[in-house]
Amino acid sequence: MSRFVRTKRKSCKFSSDKGLEIDYKDLNLLKQYISENAKIQPARVTGTVAFYQRQITNSIKRARFLALLPYTDKHE
Amino acid sequence: MRHYEVVVMVHPDQSEQVPAMVERYKAFIEADGGKIHRLEDWGRRQLAYPIAKLHKAHYVLMNIECTDKALAELENAFKFNDAVIRKMVIRKDKAVVGQSQLFKNPEDDKPKPEYKSRERAADAAPADAEAATEEAI
Repeated sequence: MSRFVRTKRKSCKFSSDKGLEIDYKDLNLLKQYISENAKIQPARVTGTVAFYQRQITNSIKRARFLALLPYTDKHE
Repeated sequence: MRHYEVVVMVHPDQSEQVPAMVERYKAFIEADGGKIHRLEDWGRRQLAYPIAKLHKAHYVLMNIECTDKALAELENAFKFNDAVIRKMVIRKDKAVVGQSQLFKNPEDDKPKPEYKSRERAADAAPADAEAATEEAI
């Protein structure tokens, strides 16, 4: 059986850059953490550390409430 | 006195009323000894999904420092103002000044040039290199 070889190491952007703030208004940043159908990407996919993943999730949910981000791609 | 961040979404047809509304809220926050640390008018923005059959809304962001009483009054004012279609209040630890990300870097449709517009020269270096390789492919 061939073993899965990961070519590129996943890395947490926030762990390496402590100055980077997670804010619900920073849509360009949050958009990197949602999938094509507007779901929140799991940390296992993005490599984000749990501490920051919780903040991202929270921020995305706030942005969604304010209609800055969609809940789904099926909105009219 | 606590710090709060308030975002209000106003009906697009009532957009002209926004400066007057802000003045009014400002008056009673300051009357109570509070302070407005940041005030941003994002203007009319496209909504990510329709709310009450509307596709656009006028956004106003306020970072305020006020008492419980003033905040309750503020929320009450929002509730009985038909022009306000949605509001969000978040408690903050400290006063926030300076432009918000949304104001500074208006979102672009393509998420490609993510950090290029941001002024973090040192931090942006690895991200930039990554973007460069992506472009090369």
